[in-house]
Amino acid sequence: MKRRGTIGLAAVTAAAALILAACGSSSTKTSTSSGSFNSAVTGVVSPSTHKGGTLTFGNSSTPDSTDPGNTYYAFMWNFVRLYTMPLMTYKSCPGACGLQVVPDLATAPGVAGDHGLTWTYHIKPNVKFEDGTTVTSADVKYAVERTYDRTVLPNGPSYFPVLLTDPKYPGPFKNRSKNMMGLTAITTPDPTTIVFHLQHPFADFNYVAAIPQTAPVPPSKDTGTKYQLHPMSTGPYKFASYQLNKQITLVPNTNWNPATDPNAKQLASKVVVNLNMNANDIDNRLIHGDLTVDMPGTGVQAAARARILSSSSLKAQSDDPISGFLWFAYINTKVAPLNNVHCRMAIEYAANKTNLQTAYGGPFAGGAVASTVAPPNVLGYKKFDLYEATSKPGGDVAKAKSELTACGQPSGFTTGVAYRSDRPKEVSAAQALQAALAPAGIHVTLHGYPAGTYYSDFAGVPKYVHAHKLGILFGGWAADWPDGYGFFDEITNGNAIVPAGNTNISELNDPVVNKLLEQMAGTQNATARNAFTSKIDLQVMKDAVILPEVYAKSLLYRSPALSNVYVQTYYGMYNYAALGLK
Amino acid sequence: MFAFIIRRLIATVLLLIVVSMITFAIFFLVPRLAGQNSYQLASQYVGRNPTRSAILQVEQRLGLNAPIYLQYGRFLRGIVVGAHFNSGTSTAYCPPPCFGYSFKNQQPVWPMMISDVPVTASLAAGAAILWLSGGVAIGVVSALRRGTLFDRFSMGVALAGVSLPIFFTGLISLALFSYKWPIFPNVQYVEITQNPLLWARNLVLPWITLAFLYAALYARLTRAGMLETMSEDYIRTARAKGLPERTVIVKHGLRAALTPIVTIFGMDLGLLLGGAVLTENTFGLHGLGQFTIQAIQQQDLPEILGVTMLAAFFIVVANLVVDILYAVVDPRVRH
Amino acid sequence: MTAPLEVSSEAATPEALLEGIRGAEIEGRSLGQIAWLRLRRDKVAMAGGVVIIVLILIAVLGPYLVQNPLIYHSNLINPTFSRPNGPFGGISAAHPFGVEPVTGRDMLARIVNGTRVSLLIAVLATTLAVGIGVVMGIIAGYFGGWVDAVIARSMDVFLAFPLLVFAIALVGVIPSSAFGFSGNSLRIGLLVFVIGFFAWPYMGRIIRGQTLSLREREFVDAARSLGARGPYILFRELLPNLVAPILVYSTLLIPTNILFEAALSYLAVGIIPPTPSWGGMLSDAVNNGYYSIDPMYMIIPGMAIFITVMAFNLFGDGLRDALDPRSSR
Repeated sequence: MKRRGTIGLAAVTAAAALILAACGSSSTKTSTSSGSFNSAVTGVVSPSTHKGGTLTFGNSSTPDSTDPGNTYYAFMWNFVRLYTMPLMTYKSCPGACGLQVVPDLATAPGVAGDHGLTWTYHIKPNVKFEDGTTVTSADVKYAVERTYDRTVLPNGPSYFPVLLTDPKYPGPFKNRSKNMMGLTAITTPDPTTIVFHLQHPFADFNYVAAIPQTAPVPPSKDTGTKYQLHPMSTGPYKFASYQLNKQITLVPNTNWNPATDPNAKQLASKVVVNLNMNANDIDNRLIHGDLTVDMPGTGVQAAARARILSSSSLKAQSDDPISGFLWFAYINTKVAPLNNVHCRMAIEYAANKTNLQTAYGGPFAGGAVASTVAPPNVLGYKKFDLYEATSKPGGDVAKAKSELTACGQPSGFTTGVAYRSDRPKEVSAAQALQAALAPAGIHVTLHGYPAGTYYSDFAGVPKYVHAHKLGILFGGWAADWPDGYGFFDEITNGNAIVPAGNTNISELNDPVVNKLLEQMAGTQNATARNAFTSKIDLQVMKDAVILPEVYAKSLLYRSPALSNVYVQTYYGMYNYAALGLK
Repeated sequence: MFAFIIRRLIATVLLLIVVSMITFAIFFLVPRLAGQNSYQLASQYVGRNPTRSAILQVEQRLGLNAPIYLQYGRFLRGIVVGAHFNSGTSTAYCPPPCFGYSFKNQQPVWPMMISDVPVTASLAAGAAILWLSGGVAIGVVSALRRGTLFDRFSMGVALAGVSLPIFFTGLISLALFSYKWPIFPNVQYVEITQNPLLWARNLVLPWITLAFLYAALYARLTRAGMLETMSEDYIRTARAKGLPERTVIVKHGLRAALTPIVTIFGMDLGLLLGGAVLTENTFGLHGLGQFTIQAIQQQDLPEILGVTMLAAFFIVVANLVVDILYAVVDPRVRH
Repeated sequence: MTAPLEVSSEAATPEALLEGIRGAEIEGRSLGQIAWLRLRRDKVAMAGGVVIIVLILIAVLGPYLVQNPLIYHSNLINPTFSRPNGPFGGISAAHPFGVEPVTGRDMLARIVNGTRVSLLIAVLATTLAVGIGVVMGIIAGYFGGWVDAVIARSMDVFLAFPLLVFAIALVGVIPSSAFGFSGNSLRIGLLVFVIGFFAWPYMGRIIRGQTLSLREREFVDAARSLGARGPYILFRELLPNLVAPILVYSTLLIPTNILFEAALSYLAVGIIPPTPSWGGMLSDAVNNGYYSIDPMYMIIPGMAIFITVMAFNLFGDGLRDALDPRSSR
């Protein structure tokens, strides 16, 4: 799922993961007034129906986009539910309960038909946009088809073009009169019914329907790249103003009907997002009470971490969930000499995993050293260690050097490293990697980019990567939905490489991996499907295109001003759609 | 006096043109000299997902392969009349004054800059007033009480002040007076039109940080100038005439000592802007300084060019104001 | 100033004076010697001078004497808190200044290497600025007329450029390898160029003013009446008499440039990590909040900048007082 950054998939238990049933009573722990350490991981802290107050979010960069059809950060997939309703969503409750995918705009989970080649959804008839117009199935169709044009909307996964028929549809922006509503893979027999036509059966389609790309967009109001400045709201809040790079303000949407949207709440009377803040400043203000939420949700920085963990009162206001992310670095296969697998393996051996772990916060707040691509919470995970990550976490320069000889670069080589400069932990990790690779003769130059445009303009643009010889690129990833396909597809499938907003940044195009993914998608039986996870994982690690760092934990600070706080396991951070103020 | 102002105005306009030419040349020539061709330069201007055709289009539209004087002419024309930019999917109009069009943000540069100007202007103006009045006052008192504890102490502090980096003092003041002792909590820019008291309150720490360095400088300068002036003969004469000490100091001594201060202040406006950039960064204020830094991080060339031009223009105009004030203070200059 | 008379310092002692009365030549003191005596008496300035010499030694020799500043010592760091084990930032016999948070790199080594970078840039940039400024100032002041007008106006132009904004902008514009350089050598070259190229008017104005007053003096007329032409007068007669302000304002320009480089590194457009720089360390300490878990990480580079800048300021002040007979303390 949402990758880079903060998506917390963490399918905690296999049993809970694929239950699509309407949730029965989820076992919410008894809530306390402001909780103790980790109490928001398993239960709701400070439940309340009190209305009023301003929710202030702080972000060290900018969102990749506020357009629900153009975003791929976990925190945005979380945040958009404040102003949009995708077809399906994840149940708003803590613990394993929060991994269930439930209907949002749809009345019920989709129904497969025609031997699994169609999926039919009915949408709720009385949902309105912020201007009072009723949402129809055509708006959902338009929302999906507009994501096909990646020159306008570069971010986001590409499941729809891959799964549905009519993959060559160019999108509704070019040649608008001809192409608008022209995606034949989606049909709308009536204003409340929408049918998706697939190329092959795909059992997990309800998860695909939970992606914000299905949130309805009225065609008449779509301004393409400018739509993000004021998306038409179907959620509890609507955009009041968006000062680019500075601040977003949301106010309550009077046309929102809470009966149609049980997973979101309209408690605060205003939502403010402050952009481009200094990351440590965010932590300071959070602890001080000037801010209520750190938007990226990947955990506090080093200074605040030390403060929080050394003070019992502050520690009681924090949570340290396993976020379901993997922090890692892509190794690009097109930038020479990394096109040779042995040069890539040299990097795997030489990297000092302990120092990388320290950069993210050590074992307690950063996470365990990773030796596989899939974190333990992905269904079908199996542990293995090809490059001594757990046996020699300090790195093995000797082995690295022999790999270098094998790839024809016995004295080493130079390449560039890309990372997000506004995320201090990633900056530290990049520097740690640089220091670890130097003794092996691999000299890297560091290039920092802002998180908000990292995927759309820099690391996610293969042309840019090649032109600037960026061989190693940092990132983070969690599964788009609880199983191995939802984790691996967008980062390792050769078909997932796109010219901008790319997440297969290694540009891996291994026929073995592609085949395994294809087989996995076509397997209907869950157990059989999960068996593919470790096979794909092993092959990807053999290709040495990913350098895993840690299975992430995030130390989150829980502002005492908040009510209804709990960690939504799917996102690995607090559920932004449920928050209120005391 | 009127003739003087007119002469200075003309000189200022000429100066603006020269400054803009040099800035423009640096932005378009230096990359050329550094080995970039116009295609590479265009790819730095174009927005996300640069396809080859988009880059070529921008190259065409901005005329990056045209001779430099043509490009400059187009730029000037944009400032006066406005320009159209083909952003790939549509054509955008950039109204005058058009300082360029940011393809990455799909917006003209001028409105983005203008929204940041009040922050930087508040910061710079407030700090300038503080440091001039504070620095001069301390310098005068130190000169008059030469050798006393006050003199030694203030000059010592002044020396420390000019030796510490701004971001250092900024951080210390933030840590002490905002977080540890909440005297100035939650430093965030509030518009003066919204809440003047809060506006001032939130700017006190940044003002003091920015002013501290320069107040120290000016205190030293004023002191030196006062000491020199006060030992002149005409001061003795004024005292001998029986004028009250205050008149002697202010009307005769200070006035003479001030003229080099004003001259130097004009030269220091560039430093003022630099200091403002650092202070904005330390306190998280969204002004022109932060705008510049973000433009660099985004590698958004039109924004970088726009803000540099604006900064240079600001200095030139401010120098004009200082010159006119100087002429008011010292009639000899007006010849 | 009249042309200097040759002087020997033996004339200072009473015995020598008596000698002089007995018939040996009485020689006066040269300006240089007078200034040196006055400077020597100024303890504070001398202290500054000593510190400067020490700093230069550190910059030149230091990096060879300390450990490698790039090596991580993760065993000295507490991984959960990211701070060095032990008080005061992990000071120990092996690491006299402690170690950095998160990485465990030796602070002494980083400070020493940072000295080299800071002084290198400051000295080079100052040299460039002084070189251009003196030449332009002398030409403007001596020739007057339209030459003066053009140079004076161009000084206005260069002063109009906001140095920091310009430097930041140029860093953003120049590609990562250009003119045959890349990485830090390119950055250093860029910084030196920006500072030197845009800061010369500070020196230029002063020199121009001094030249204007000097050219009316008798010795210039004397030289001219002897048949000396422009260049000779400029460089043989005027320049030696300008040494004093050149020296003083160069010394005072260096600390400004040190602060400037620190500011650029702080804004992450200066020296590229992991090469150590004082500004970069301060930036790390301040922006990443490490100052609250390891205050020494901020204090040590802060003090390094402070002491260096202070030393140059004190020495420059003392130099100015010593060289200018009219200045009052």
